[in-house]
Amino acid sequence: MTRRTIPADPFTIHVPDHEIADLKHRLEQTRFPNEPEGNDQWSYGTNLSYMERLIAYWRDDFDWRKQEARLNAFPQYKVTLTDENDQDHEIHFLYEKGSGDNAIPLIMTHGWPSTFREFLDVVDQLAHPETYGKQGPAFDVIVPSLIGYGFSSKPRIPVGPAIIADLWHELMTHVLGYDTYVAQAGDWGSFVTSRLALQHADAVSAIHLTMLPLRPHLKHESQPPVTEAEAKWIAEMRAWWAQEEGYRSIQSTKPMALAFALMDSPAGLAGWLADKYYRLGDTDKTHTWKGMDTRFPMDTLLTQLSIYWFTGTINAANTLYKAGPAEGSALLKPGQRVTTPTAYTEYPMDTLPITPRSWAERSYNLKRFRVMEKGGHFAAMEEPEIFAHDVREAFRELLD
Amino acid sequence: MSSPQPFKVEVDQAVLDTIIEKVRAYDWHEMPEIAAGGDRWAYGTDMVYLKELCSYWTKNFNWRAAEEQLNAFPQFTCEVDGQSIHFYHVKGSGSAPQPIILTHGWPGSVFEFVHILDHLAHPEKHGGDAEDGLTLIVPSLPGYGFSGKPQKPLGPKRTAALWDKLMRTHLGYDTYIAQGGDWGSVVTGWLGYNHGTDKDGGCKAIHVNMWGLRPAGVLPETEEEQAWAGAVGATMQAESAYLQLQATKPQSLSYAMMDSPVGIAAWIIEKFNTWSDTRGPDGSSNIENAYTKDQLLTNIMIYLVTRTFNTSTWFYRGYFEDGGSDMAPDTRVEIPTGMAVFPEEFIKLPPRSMAEKGYNITHWSEFDTGGHFAALETGSVFADEIISFARTQKG
Repeated sequence: MTRRTIPADPFTIHVPDHEIADLKHRLEQTRFPNEPEGNDQWSYGTNLSYMERLIAYWRDDFDWRKQEARLNAFPQYKVTLTDENDQDHEIHFLYEKGSGDNAIPLIMTHGWPSTFREFLDVVDQLAHPETYGKQGPAFDVIVPSLIGYGFSSKPRIPVGPAIIADLWHELMTHVLGYDTYVAQAGDWGSFVTSRLALQHADAVSAIHLTMLPLRPHLKHESQPPVTEAEAKWIAEMRAWWAQEEGYRSIQSTKPMALAFALMDSPAGLAGWLADKYYRLGDTDKTHTWKGMDTRFPMDTLLTQLSIYWFTGTINAANTLYKAGPAEGSALLKPGQRVTTPTAYTEYPMDTLPITPRSWAERSYNLKRFRVMEKGGHFAAMEEPEIFAHDVREAFRELLD
Repeated sequence: MSSPQPFKVEVDQAVLDTIIEKVRAYDWHEMPEIAAGGDRWAYGTDMVYLKELCSYWTKNFNWRAAEEQLNAFPQFTCEVDGQSIHFYHVKGSGSAPQPIILTHGWPGSVFEFVHILDHLAHPEKHGGDAEDGLTLIVPSLPGYGFSGKPQKPLGPKRTAALWDKLMRTHLGYDTYIAQGGDWGSVVTGWLGYNHGTDKDGGCKAIHVNMWGLRPAGVLPETEEEQAWAGAVGATMQAESAYLQLQATKPQSLSYAMMDSPVGIAAWIIEKFNTWSDTRGPDGSSNIENAYTKDQLLTNIMIYLVTRTFNTSTWFYRGYFEDGGSDMAPDTRVEIPTGMAVFPEEFIKLPPRSMAEKGYNITHWSEFDTGGHFAALETGSVFADEIISFARTQKG
């Protein structure tokens, strides 16, 4: 056992009353845009009738204190760690100890436009499987807020996944005292988790991903030629992204052109983020808003949005899209590969094609490959039972 | 058919008060730390400058003075094919002033041209010859400023058809010249391509200061052409995110922008800073080398008081729904074309050899200063360039 050398302080979320009142005031003052004809399927972006319902609910019915109490039902902490450039970061994390003496330490990392809330519905299932009538393993579940997200601090100088991975390792070893641990993630969390495996292979026993962020160095001799199936998949991915990546393009080049509006308008924040839940979630898109309400009940979605709003983090969060690529940490070196045993589970997202297994094997020591029938990009929120079961089974297999 | 109705800009005080109140209440936040001497606009809009601008906005900016400036020339609105179009209409000096339609782009407005209208219409008052006077028609694009908001996106190709109808059917000009930069260069390109006097339109010559409508399938050949294509590709990589977003999901952006005057100001001034000639005499860059705060704010306020930011972005989507900006293979603009190259234009104009593959180039000018918003940036230099091009089209 590594000696704990850095103490963490218990943390409870409490948003002051005046900030809740300010949010309500802003929502009351919201001035909505007009909408082009023919936007029932959100083809021009976030739908107006959905937004009017969401903002009315946020303003009149949403009970932040109730959601805050749910978040606070799990033990949380803050600890200040220093990165390799001598920048201090205050890291917020949820820490639920698992049942029994052999719980496996598991660090789960969210992405954008999400928060640590994404995993709230699976923490208990993973920590205490016996209360759900499931066999182990049980996990010590650690869910940090990414740097610049939610209740973690905003960096003065933006940092990317490689630096965040080093901070996570320090959190797991010197703050929590684990020698070895496993990690799980999707979206930006999958970049951090992949870097964690690359940079701390001795400590990371296995990883489970729902997104494959690393890009292999295709021209290197260790890489077999691109298969027909891979080429088709790449072409389909590109065509999909051409329609969808506007948000990513702006956040990765000029996040500060966008930030001022998003930091000024809770409705604007909702409009910017709701589109991603609609598009990337496994939402029924045949109705303008029913699919969203079913997949992401407004209380759940507004808890996510409220965390962004109250912590004032959308600016810092978006900037990860610029800091990440600037770090260059997603492109593997020639011949480089994640050696850590890896499980990959793909949840259906919009019209995206299924990733060929061979593609995953190019960058990872892939031991398990699953394609799910339902779930979406925010699977832990969308299908918590399926998600928890899959993560538990995957680590059982990988650690066997 | 509707006839043009006189128009004046008169904004209710309550509208202005709401905007200023919102700017004053802005809750400033952090921006990424920039090393000393680094580019403060590296992440987008520089918060230090934006704060300074907003302070001026709430304390010093006088919309009524801007309104007076905008109302100094005759304006009209007219329904063209069901779309309400706002435009300036200024009769030129001389015995036979040629009509010319000047088209702005995004995120600009008719304000880009207001300060040169007198020069163009009445050159004799600006050291020129009254016989060079031009009759000016300066419309606001559909969904922009004081023009009406379309029900759904409408792009430059369809706008050009509206312009030809406005000029010939509503205003009675059988032939005319067209000029534009940014979206205006694309609209103007379509006027030259689809509505030229060589077809059955009224456009007899065009002048552009951006590479808008493009010949299809023409690849760069010479070394100079290839270098240009490479430079444009690199620029688009770094600078085209706003375009990609506005062309695909304008509504995802609109909730934030339409609820935040400071948000709109930030989004717009980032473009004015990046696309303009902001070089100072000492070699350093500063947005105020190109514009005064009053100029920046007047243009921004036109978007705010009309609540047209959202519909202005639809033009990008309309552009793709139009089918983009490629001419048919093996065709080009056959009517006489002038091009003006300003050095800090962010999408560089191609070498003349390349431009000639798409246009019947009869006039080519290159300048030492100026950028994307050349009319606003260079004023009389731009006006003299238009006059000298128009002179070649007399008779």
